[in-house]
Amino acid sequence: MTQILEPGNVVASGTATTKEDAIREAGALLVAAGAVTSAYIDSMFDREASVSTYMGNFLAIPHGTNEAKESIIRSSLSLVRYPDPIDWDGKPVRFAVGIAGLNNEHLEILSKIAVVFADTDEVQKLIDATTAEDIFTLLEEVNAE
Amino acid sequence: MPNIAAFIAWGLITAFFIPTGWTPNETVAKMVGPMIVYLLPLLIANTGGRMVYGIRGGVIATIATMGVIVGSEIPMFIGAMLVGPLSAYLLKKLDSLWAGKVKPGFEMLIDNFSSGILGAILALGAFFGIAPVVSGFSSILESGVNWLVSNNLLPLASILVEPGKILFLNNAINHGVFTPIGVQQVAESGKSLLFLIEANPGPGLGILLAYSFFGLGLARASAPGAIIIHFLGGIHEIYFPYVLMKPILVLAAIGGGMTGVATNVAFQTGLRAPASPGSIFAVLIQTASDSYVGVILSVILSATVSFLIAAVILRASRKRDLANGLGDDLTGAVAKTEALKGKSSSVLGGLTGAGAAAADNREIKNIVFACDAGMGSSAMGASVLRNKIKKAGLEGITVVNQAIANLDGTADLVITHQDLTARAQEKSPNSIFVSVDNFMNSPKYDEVVAMLQSKATEEASR
Repeated sequence: MTQILEPGNVVASGTATTKEDAIREAGALLVAAGAVTSAYIDSMFDREASVSTYMGNFLAIPHGTNEAKESIIRSSLSLVRYPDPIDWDGKPVRFAVGIAGLNNEHLEILSKIAVVFADTDEVQKLIDATTAEDIFTLLEEVNAE
Repeated sequence: MPNIAAFIAWGLITAFFIPTGWTPNETVAKMVGPMIVYLLPLLIANTGGRMVYGIRGGVIATIATMGVIVGSEIPMFIGAMLVGPLSAYLLKKLDSLWAGKVKPGFEMLIDNFSSGILGAILALGAFFGIAPVVSGFSSILESGVNWLVSNNLLPLASILVEPGKILFLNNAINHGVFTPIGVQQVAESGKSLLFLIEANPGPGLGILLAYSFFGLGLARASAPGAIIIHFLGGIHEIYFPYVLMKPILVLAAIGGGMTGVATNVAFQTGLRAPASPGSIFAVLIQTASDSYVGVILSVILSATVSFLIAAVILRASRKRDLANGLGDDLTGAVAKTEALKGKSSSVLGGLTGAGAAAADNREIKNIVFACDAGMGSSAMGASVLRNKIKKAGLEGITVVNQAIANLDGTADLVITHQDLTARAQEKSPNSIFVSVDNFMNSPKYDEVVAMLQSKATEEASR
């Protein structure tokens, strides 16, 4: 069974500097992982246009609309960290978690990510982590608890 | 307030199809009577009952109100407003007698029969007890107005007429009192100002304008539409609920009414025939040829006076209404204020917490996080809250996430992004709502947990 969040989908230092590019970057990782078709990225923009996916605590979770579920091949997450905060509708974002979810398979890991990000100490650890592996491990640790 | 839609529907049908309407149609106009006699009072009763005791309260309120309606001949709005909440309250008391003692599996049976039997009794009681009282009240009002007319104290008549109108006795007053005497006066002097005492659209216009500028929530949003139906369409009933929401506004109606009457007395102006419906067009058409100045002034002045009084009242009570949750968009308004301040204020936060708790004393077992797709933000918010509830040691509470489109109305508490609250409210009107602008560390979560905790201790101490 493949993991929903694979180590290869975690990027420690994203290149995007705008919200739009960050959405594309998150979407491209999902496309590269074979989780969604490129049409899904368009729906991520649709979803963003309706309500911002900024979650709080430097986290945004760009994802598609309810109608775009056909363009999802399998459930998958991507996580990109940015060295400088990205202006996300006026809010600072350091982490963009791209989501493609089918049949709620992604909810387990997503809820773990949520619990991590709800804790500002944990967020600081993620910001301080040096490599993508470290970030992944931090999330895994919580997963193990 | 959602009942306003029914008033609008009724108002439109009336304005178009009654014999004096724009496009008279006898067949369609048959709906007008049953709608005002049955539909509108029953809706009001249902809403009133529901506020007291949920859907069960709404049902029994509707049953009992049937008794008042059939027991009298005038539209039974006062009756509905009294009997509805009262019946729901009685049912609540009755239910609490055996709450928790019913064997599992028998709840439905007991529930249905207890409210069925009580409903039948209450309907009978209302039929014999309440209906005559309300009918009697309305005839006292009629004779009072009659006395004032015959003693030339006309402006004072507004003191009785306006409250009577608001209680939907407008037609009884206009056609029962003013029209007969007015017709007599027309025979003598060619015009009568009596036709304008009730039919002057000015006071209602002023109140609706005040709501348009200073009202809250749905009331404010719907007032401009109501103005068209009231002022142009002549369906005064449309503004009565706005006054009933805040009964002290009847002062504005009285002030406006007295101003209008006094103006017509001063100018010695009047109408040649009853203006029905009381639309500005009908009024102008019936204005006696020497009376345009006085009549038009009476409308304008009465609207101005009632607007000013209503504006003062609405402004003065605005804060308190927010605190009491009377503004339909309470949570939205608070969330907005917090966003504007850039941080959450504990005063405002406490306000939603208390408001939500006070608005509903029911148990909260089923919490739903709702967002557009049910894929991301709601799932994360649900996890965070679930985690907090778990840490607080609370048990038996489920937190799930759903797409707004899938809300089925069974949730006790719905949490959404503030931009989506309105949409979610449509789908699940009976739930308590909490709006957040930050799913990760919203102070609202702690408030919800605190509320759940206080409920849990309350229950344990019972």
